Amino acid sequence: MRLRRSVAKWLVVLGVLHGIVVCAGFFAPYDPAEQDRKSPYLPPMRVHVVDEEGHFHARPFVYAFRLRQGTFDQYEEDAARSYPLRFFVRGARYRLLGILPSRLHLFGAEDLRIYLLGTDAYGRDQLSRLVFGGQVSLLAGLLGAGITLSLGLCIGAVAGYYGGWRDDVLMRVAELFLALPWLYLLFAVRAFLPLTVRPLAAFFLIVAVIGEVGWARPARLVRAVVLSAKERDFVRAARGFGAKDVYLLRWHILPETGSVLLTQAAILVPQYVLAEMTLSFLGLGVPEPVPSWGNLLSSLQQYSVLVSYWWMYLPTLAMVPFFLGYLGLASSLQERGPAYKIERRSLGSLT
Amino acid sequence: MQTLIKVENLVKRYARRNPAGGQEELLALDGVSFEVLAGSTLAVVGESGSGKSTLALCLACLEEATSGSIWLEGKDICKVAEKERREMRPQIQMIFQDPANSLNPRWRTLEIVTEPLVLRGGISRDEMKKQVYALLGRVGLPAETAKRLPCELSGGQRQRLAIARVLALEPKVLILDEALSALDCSVQAQIANLLMELQGALGMTYVFITHDLGMAAHLADEIVVMNGGRIVERGRAEEVLREPREEITRRLVAAVPRLTRSPLAPIGR
Repeated sequence: MRLRRSVAKWLVVLGVLHGIVVCAGFFAPYDPAEQDRKSPYLPPMRVHVVDEEGHFHARPFVYAFRLRQGTFDQYEEDAARSYPLRFFVRGARYRLLGILPSRLHLFGAEDLRIYLLGTDAYGRDQLSRLVFGGQVSLLAGLLGAGITLSLGLCIGAVAGYYGGWRDDVLMRVAELFLALPWLYLLFAVRAFLPLTVRPLAAFFLIVAVIGEVGWARPARLVRAVVLSAKERDFVRAARGFGAKDVYLLRWHILPETGSVLLTQAAILVPQYVLAEMTLSFLGLGVPEPVPSWGNLLSSLQQYSVLVSYWWMYLPTLAMVPFFLGYLGLASSLQERGPAYKIERRSLGSLT
Repeated sequence: MQTLIKVENLVKRYARRNPAGGQEELLALDGVSFEVLAGSTLAVVGESGSGKSTLALCLACLEEATSGSIWLEGKDICKVAEKERREMRPQIQMIFQDPANSLNPRWRTLEIVTEPLVLRGGISRDEMKKQVYALLGRVGLPAETAKRLPCELSGGQRQRLAIARVLALEPKVLILDEALSALDCSVQAQIANLLMELQGALGMTYVFITHDLGMAAHLADEIVVMNGGRIVERGRAEEVLREPREEITRRLVAAVPRLTRSPLAPIGR
């Protein structure tokens, strides 16, 4: 299958973005759970190349913050204390990809903690939490989409291929699932569980619930493709050679659903990342101190944070390129259509 | 010559839902009976919607007839058990109208021709490959087409490929469902000649379904004319064409384009 250029372009964009998240330990300067109680709600530090006297510095630097006089949460830059940015520094321990132990970080500074996206109420680095949080949120999105698509593929294939009462039953159930107010369903599911759940268990629970709710739409799309594919002459021909149902589905019919599934995947992943964020925002997702994009934003539930600390919104901006990447991929996949082409010339001779 | 296929009172009804929500019945085949001699060619002609394609699908066991029977060498393929039918199926093979649709567009020539061999099983991979190349040569496809996708072949090459594929199963009966209609004239003639040559060499029986009376006259020994799911006229090819008895046959004969003064000069001769 040859990739079209527009598809390849979006894949590269997504590859880079996911690469950053996968190698979070390297790109994040600190451990996401490490607290700095002396500097809660520190605004993002500015990276300078020109100092107070107007001298240019080749190495970018930041100023330390100090509390503005007479306030308890207003910071200002202390021009007397500048700290140059250092690249490829040794810092907090982490495991790259969960295996390789390492202490190497992309950047940092000596004697000062740098907060390029500010800190939260506990003085945790928002940038580190954003990059690490992406691991949880994107994995939830990808796994959820995987579950949804496998369910949709199986159910759609059975409904479309066998038809009859199976089709009727499955499609009525699909309509029921489409009609469910799934957010409130999730509340109900959560209510059955104990107050505190281990992070890993909570993660798989939300992935399972998110993944199982959404199968109806892909199942209907797969069914439609299977319905038309099973009437095609090459499927008939193979049946004439003595092929059985499983063979026909595996080798002739389900490959036809490939482009529909890919497009659905590209649409579902951002949708499910948002679903995870919604749940975590409401405190029903992965518990603290594990970072996830929803957890990062959950402090916005407090009005004081909402109005005073604008940098708490920054993580939402960081998600835009991810979602844009997935939706761009989805639309260029849709454009592509089937992986094969019939020449115009030969089509003309057929009619 | 002995009778190879005997069709008796074949009926096929389709139930379909009409827009009003009720069930509606469509009678595609209304008591069709005929016989085909081994090694001969029967042409089934008729207008669109006359039931000839349904007949093709029923003969190839791709649709189940509502009632009636199809005897192949003394066995009724409509009534035998599923397992036995699967064994009999390879003996009746079908060539479809549009080779662009009857060949999986994602598969390469080699895979397409290997498929029936794989499904039948019993021989090694190497042997299959050898057979596939022999078959490609048999239908006049150069060996380098083995790596091509169907969309990279011409219409005529695709139809040759479809023929090579069914030959792998050594069928007794070949049902040609408008197999030449999608091709342009010169290619039609080439494929028709290939089919006749193969019939001479392998002794296959053809059921040639077409709306093209000229081609039917060229290829067939016998002709049946269908209209509204029934056979309205049958007889030896020349006779039916020279002296059509039914109105529908006269209309079909009149529809044949004439290039010379001689009526029904077969195309491609």
